[in-house]
Amino acid sequence: MEGMFYSTQNVWTWWIAIYLFLGGLGGAAVVVSCLTNMYFKPHKQLVVWGNISAFIMLSVGSLMLFIHLLDHWAVINVLNPMILITKPDAWIAWGTQFIVWMLVWSIIYTLPYLLETKFWTEMPVVGTILGWFNWLGKLSLKLHKLIGWLAVINAFGTVLYTGLLLQSFPAVALWHNPGVPLLFLVSAFSTAIAFLLLVLYLAIKQEEDHELRVFYERSDVILIGIELMIIFVFFEYTTSGLESARHTAQILWNDMGWIVGFVVFGLIVPFLIEFKGVTKGWGGSKVPIVLAAVLVLGGGYLLRHYFMYAGVYERPYPAVNIIRQHSELKLELAPTNKVLALLPSHYSMASKLG
Amino acid sequence: MAWKFPKLSRRTFLKTTGASAAGLSLLKANTLFSKQQPEKLLNVDKEEVSYTICNFCSSLCNVKVTSRTRNGVKRVEKLDGNPHSTLNRGKMCARGQAGVRQTYDKDRFKKPLIRVEGSKRGEWKFREVSWEEAWQYIDNKVNKPKNGEKIQPWEWTLIGGWTSCIFYMSWSVPFAVANGIPNIVASPMQHCVTTGHLGTDSVTGTFNVHDEILPDYDNAKYILYVGNNSSIGGVSTCRVVRFTQAIKNGAKVVVLDPRISETASKADEWIPIRPGTDLDFCLAMLREMLEKKYYDAEFLRVRTNMPFLVYKDDAGQWQLVKDSEGRPAVVWEGTSDIHILPAYTNYNRTDINGKTFCPSLYAPADLKVPAGLAGEGRPVLTVLQAQFEEIKHCTPEWAEKTTGIPADTIRRISTEFATSRPAIIDPGWHGARFGNIMMTRRVQAMIQVLNGGIDKEGGWILSGEFHHKLAAQVEAKKAGRDDVGAPMATKVGMDFALFVVNAFSSEKTFSHGHPGWAWAYSKQQRAEGKQGVALPVLADEGMKESVEGKVKWKGKPYLTRALFVNAANPVRHYYPDTYWKDMMKNDNLELVIALDVLPSDTTPYADVILPHSTYLERDEPTFYANGVNQDLAVTTRYAAIEPLYDSEEIPDVLLKLTEIISGKDGAFDKFAGMIEALTGLPAAATKAEWERLKAAGQKSPFSKACRKVGLIETAKKLLTTPEHLDKTLREKGVYHEEDWHKIIEEYGVPHKLPTTTASGRIEFFSSLFDMLRSQGFTAPNFSVLATPIAAECREDKTMDQALDPDEFYFAYGKVPTVSYASTNSNNPVLAAINTWKKDIYTGVWIHPDRAAKLGIKSGDKIKLKNSLSGQEAEGHVYVTRKVRSDTLFLHSAFGVENPQLTHSYAMGGTATNKLIPHNVEPVVAGFRSEEFTIRIAKA
Amino acid sequence: MANTPHYAMVIDLNTCVGCNACMAACALENQTPVWDNKWRTYVHDMEIGTSTDDDVRRRFFPRLCNHCDNPPCMSVCPTGATHKLDNGIVLVDDELCMGCRACVMACPYDARYDVTSDDLEQGDKFFGELHYRTRPSVDKCSFCAHRVMRGLKPACVETCVGSARMFGDLNDPNDEVAKLVKTGVAKPLMAHLGTGPNVFYISDIERTT
Ligand SMILES: Nc1nc2c(c(=O)[nH]1)N[C@H]1C(S)=C(S)[C@@H](COP(=O)(O)OP(=O)(O)OC[C@H]3O[C@@H](n4cnc5c(=O)[nH]c(N)nc54)[C@H](O)[C@@H]3O)O[C@H]1N2
Ligand SMILES: Nc1nc2c(c(=O)[nH]1)N[C@H]1C(S)=C(S)[C@@H](COP(=O)(O)OP(=O)(O)OC[C@H]3O[C@@H](n4cnc5c(=O)[nH]c(N)nc54)[C@H](O)[C@@H]3O)O[C@H]1N2
Ligand code: SF4
Ligand code: SF4
Ligand code: SF4
Ligand code: SF4
Ligand code: SF4
Ligand SMILES: [Mo]
Repeated sequence: MEGMFYSTQNVWTWWIAIYLFLGGLGGAAVVVSCLTNMYFKPHKQLVVWGNISAFIMLSVGSLMLFIHLLDHWAVINVLNPMILITKPDAWIAWGTQFIVWMLVWSIIYTLPYLLETKFWTEMPVVGTILGWFNWLGKLSLKLHKLIGWLAVINAFGTVLYTGLLLQSFPAVALWHNPGVPLLFLVSAFSTAIAFLLLVLYLAIKQEEDHELRVFYERSDVILIGIELMIIFVFFEYTTSGLESARHTAQILWNDMGWIVGFVVFGLIVPFLIEFKGVTKGWGGSKVPIVLAAVLVLGGGYLLRHYFMYAGVYERPYPAVNIIRQHSELKLELAPTNKVLALLPSHYSMASKLG
Repeated sequence: MAWKFPKLSRRTFLKTTGASAAGLSLLKANTLFSKQQPEKLLNVDKEEVSYTICNFCSSLCNVKVTSRTRNGVKRVEKLDGNPHSTLNRGKMCARGQAGVRQTYDKDRFKKPLIRVEGSKRGEWKFREVSWEEAWQYIDNKVNKPKNGEKIQPWEWTLIGGWTSCIFYMSWSVPFAVANGIPNIVASPMQHCVTTGHLGTDSVTGTFNVHDEILPDYDNAKYILYVGNNSSIGGVSTCRVVRFTQAIKNGAKVVVLDPRISETASKADEWIPIRPGTDLDFCLAMLREMLEKKYYDAEFLRVRTNMPFLVYKDDAGQWQLVKDSEGRPAVVWEGTSDIHILPAYTNYNRTDINGKTFCPSLYAPADLKVPAGLAGEGRPVLTVLQAQFEEIKHCTPEWAEKTTGIPADTIRRISTEFATSRPAIIDPGWHGARFGNIMMTRRVQAMIQVLNGGIDKEGGWILSGEFHHKLAAQVEAKKAGRDDVGAPMATKVGMDFALFVVNAFSSEKTFSHGHPGWAWAYSKQQRAEGKQGVALPVLADEGMKESVEGKVKWKGKPYLTRALFVNAANPVRHYYPDTYWKDMMKNDNLELVIALDVLPSDTTPYADVILPHSTYLERDEPTFYANGVNQDLAVTTRYAAIEPLYDSEEIPDVLLKLTEIISGKDGAFDKFAGMIEALTGLPAAATKAEWERLKAAGQKSPFSKACRKVGLIETAKKLLTTPEHLDKTLREKGVYHEEDWHKIIEEYGVPHKLPTTTASGRIEFFSSLFDMLRSQGFTAPNFSVLATPIAAECREDKTMDQALDPDEFYFAYGKVPTVSYASTNSNNPVLAAINTWKKDIYTGVWIHPDRAAKLGIKSGDKIKLKNSLSGQEAEGHVYVTRKVRSDTLFLHSAFGVENPQLTHSYAMGGTATNKLIPHNVEPVVAGFRSEEFTIRIAKA
Repeated sequence: MANTPHYAMVIDLNTCVGCNACMAACALENQTPVWDNKWRTYVHDMEIGTSTDDDVRRRFFPRLCNHCDNPPCMSVCPTGATHKLDNGIVLVDDELCMGCRACVMACPYDARYDVTSDDLEQGDKFFGELHYRTRPSVDKCSFCAHRVMRGLKPACVETCVGSARMFGDLNDPNDEVAKLVKTGVAKPLMAHLGTGPNVFYISDIERTT
């Protein structure tokens, strides 16, 4: 039936993008720091930094999610682990459980290290609380590897589910494809490594971590490289794909925030900086790598922001959840070949063929 | 990066916890499957159903009311179409659905209000008072005025809207007559009923309010709509249900409208005609059909006055050939034999001598009026031939110029219409707009008659009530009786119209010797050599002059000093707003009373505002015929809930006013006696009941008494018991009397009964206009035959001449979600829809080609200026191809001024009452509300 | 299962006159937050074929939840609030819903809206004692399950002045709606997404000539 309409959404906005960013970053940070500690090089400080940061990031992120809920009390329904039996098809149900258990296991995994550190045990309130959990710290040490793996698995789940969730929204070509979980996974790990690099360079500052840093830098170059490739694939997919994807392409590839902010400064520039670091080195200066890491983190947020922002729904009638004023809806209707970025507020774009 | 901060609830989540209990219940194991919502809705203590009639338009739909009680509080929850009703077939439009919100409107009047001393009318400074204080205030103004001279009966004017007109006519008119008040302005008349219908009725002899013709779309094969929308798809439920059935049945639908209306959007063919030129289109059709003999010859011959003989007199006027007793003459088919027919009948095949023959539609070429008949010796033609002569030049090519519709299309439509019987040409409801609208309606009726489609399946059906009353009337006429009973209950068609005209135009009706000021003014105008209005029936023409002291009667000023606004909103519904505002601001007007439910744009100008109950809160005092239903049925309103506020009922208000105007002594007998005389409701029985209820301390005892006695009387008429009638109405909302098929079989007009035209036939040569012509009205509007009348939108320019770049023809229409320009635009449900569709509903429709040239786009603010009167209004643009490029369209529902109507006021929109001048046509003072052009400029 | 009905709606665009009665009826029947212009059903007033005057048409397009056979809104719902009855009706249980709006994101038909705490407060004022909502949630058309359970038609269908909305049972071969669907005259929206919608449309364009 003649004429389809294209519109973006105003339901999950930058508020959720921040959560997605923090969730991916925090989850991946736990995975990387725990695995590093377990298999690459025992590194208590890294675990403390990584896991405590992740704890804060996910607490903040989850709090934002929580605030965003309409009925805060009903969150009890997803916190109840039984939910996995009644709603195993819902990624948010899994995600909630992953987050909760990731937080629990990663803290227990970190607990022995905290109990060893004066900084923590002498901290008001926190120190007292830690005092109550001496027994747990001991238990944790006994089962450290198992607990580590429980943390890692749940953290990995946390990283993965965000992409799977987006993928489960069928009307949006940008989201409803297998590239999304992969992209989010890669991006999460590259941001997590960038974050841990910052920790290593700026906070821990230990000479003997050189090898670890090089390893992280190499991994990051590879991850950013992969991410660039995925983005290229998405470019192809969106520019020559379904109509809704083509609208997405027009939003993205006309937006300086995406092109310059994300692709250039969030991917290409850090890739080049780190590539030089890995191949030729930066002559001992940490500034370039720190800069690259900051750029990667910024890029990580922008990716999620633009992913939420540029998801275009294809609909047989104008949207109403987006903007309720019919008149605004009709402002619209830029034909597909028009540069949508020229519109004053392009998220309100609803396009109609015809 | 255009996302705003996510809209988070203003209430913190902690406050959500009226929820805390519920929050805990969530922990119950089974909550994962609680699924309770559907039951929650129905979790009430009690559910009751009652029936009423919708209050929001003349469709008068039957309504089923569902009320629910929870925690001891009873509320009306939901309205639905009454499934037992064959009128609206269980359906209801958005206005009807949302009607419940009128009762719960927070802006409602809750107590009587008196304008604060020292304030000016229009300022909205009121204080709440008791009913006693309000009556005392009115009494003082009437009987102890500052100048010492009591306000006299003829110095009162009543203005009623359609609510008071339809539901309370049987009280308002007796009230006026009993108190000697000759002045009533009724809002549906000038815009709607008289202007629209009188044209049709002069042909068919009906004259009802909106139920004059009830087209049977269900069975039609072809429907041609001419300038109607809200009476069909935009929306009158009783008709749209039949219209969409026609579409489902595969009928072909053609719509003439300058824009794609709701109705046009459903048509097989939309014909974008230039405003004001429908008459030309219709005349071309009539000419085509006459020329090609596309008609039901037998029907014309036998049931209409088409075969009557006419001649042209010295003045070039068509006159009927009549014998000395005023009886018409016809010629025998194939001969030159002239026969005289009875003056009043529906059968032309028997002459006065009882001879049966065949009247001819064509007179032989050289036939002359024989001796002894009027026009002796002059060449004669039949009415059909004369009609053709009259419009011979109105060819499709001629009409193409003004209408903008290709001649071929007009020709094709004429052929299609004539060859797809049963076919309907539908004239719609809202009259006015142009000086030629009445003539347009006449021609449409003629076109319908050419097809023989009157009281016939798939054609125009006349109302059930009309048939029954007509039968009694014809019976009485035959028996030589003049009257069949109380005139308002028994007179129909032209007889009713003429009864009303006579009552208010004659100085003999009232002992004080004053006719209505409208009639006095008309006479005065004509004495001054001006045209004057021939039949200012219930019109406002001359009112302002009367307030200003410019109308004279017998040498003395005929003043209007008191105004009672009863369920009317003239500031919004009459033109222009300033006409009424100026009048009401004039100090000569000493008292303005408004009876309403909501603060309309008129109420700020009142001195006293009296709150009426809303329709869901009242048992109406009487029983009604089932509105625009083809079937015959009786219905009424049952209150669903007790009145929420300190409101009153109309009969009791009128009784109280009678006490004030005519003195307390005998007031009841005077008023009730007149009700009995005019409507037949027995006064003695009503009085007994009234006294009983009053003694029992009941609220609104008169209204209740009338209801009670009305029930008994109605039951008598229906040959049943009051108990049975009441029970049926309580259970079903309608008391079905008779199916329309049966009615037309028995009483079909003109097949079985003569109609109420002077000749009893369907009239092409109009006896009504013949009569007016004889009184000296000679403008083409009074032509006895169909004739062209050009719309005069610009000075000295015809409709086919080019417009200036900023100039447009003007068209308006109703919006499906608002009644008229009524206070129901304040309804929050309707207001929400209107907000959502704001651009289309409140915008000024302009074609993109014109918009581009003027450099304007959708949403731009513009100034609109009436190029003839200079009036100005504001609007915002909605650019659309759904309108002709030479025409500007807007919905007339918006532009409310009174901030007390919170939702309506916030809606904005263009007020048509600021653009339309007080310019009326000469027959009934119909508003020429589109007869000008509009210039626009960016604001 | 053969005896269980499978409810569906057919909307005939040829007879929808855009009167909005369905919107008003639904809002009052189901107490939707009209004050914030939130509805379970909308009737769009669309101008189509806009390139020339000869092409231009006005189309009224009613829409509501499609009660999909394979509803993405349900599969993403983490609380189980969105669920499907045996008769095909997809419902939201406001007791369970936490308002994460994943379902809003997942629904391809833009059928859902938020009922916020503010809306609850407004609703108490607006609908008075009869206001039945007690919890914030996401809401959408319920096919008027509470009416259907009592053997009534949905409110919007009951009042549809153009009889454009028809409600029926796809499992009943004699049902008019089932026939219209079976013959293919009535088609679902965006069937390619695999959602299996149960609202079907009769086109006003293919039919006219
Ligand atoms: N601008 C504009 N003017 C028009 C029209 C239009 O479409 N637009 N249409 C014209 C036509 S066709 C007609 S028939 C007329 C109709 O015009 P009116 O008969 O005047 O119609 P309404 O606007 O319904 O009602 C007028 C007043 O009645 C009040 N009212 C409503 N319900 C009740 C009630 O139960 N009791 C009491 N006491 N008052 C009540 C309303 O608040 C309002 O102030 O308007 C004509 N004028
Ligand atoms: N929504 C709604 N429906 C109502 C009512 C209401 O208040 N609101 N009131 C009821 C009443 S009392 C009445 S009288 C009827 C009125 O119902 P209708 O007689 O159908 O009148 P409108 O809808 O005002 O106008 C019909 C159409 O005429 C078109 N038009 C304007 N000028 C011209 C012209 O010069 N030529 C032609 N061919 N078309 C023209 C307009 O574009 C509009 O679409 O509606 C009834 N139904
Ligand atoms: S058409 Fe609508 S407003 Fe008019 S009487 Fe019927 S339900 Fe009421
Ligand atoms: S239309 Fe949307 S809300 Fe309704 S069942 Fe389908 S996916 Fe769910
Ligand atoms: S908003 Fe409610 S119904 Fe929707 S997915 Fe979340 S919990 Fe389920
Ligand atoms: S089926 Fe019921 S809930 Fe759904 S749109 Fe119609 S009236 Fe509203
Ligand atoms: S009630 Fe029926 S005709 Fe009116 S807008 Fe809704 S679907 Fe269309
Ligand atoms: Mo009217």
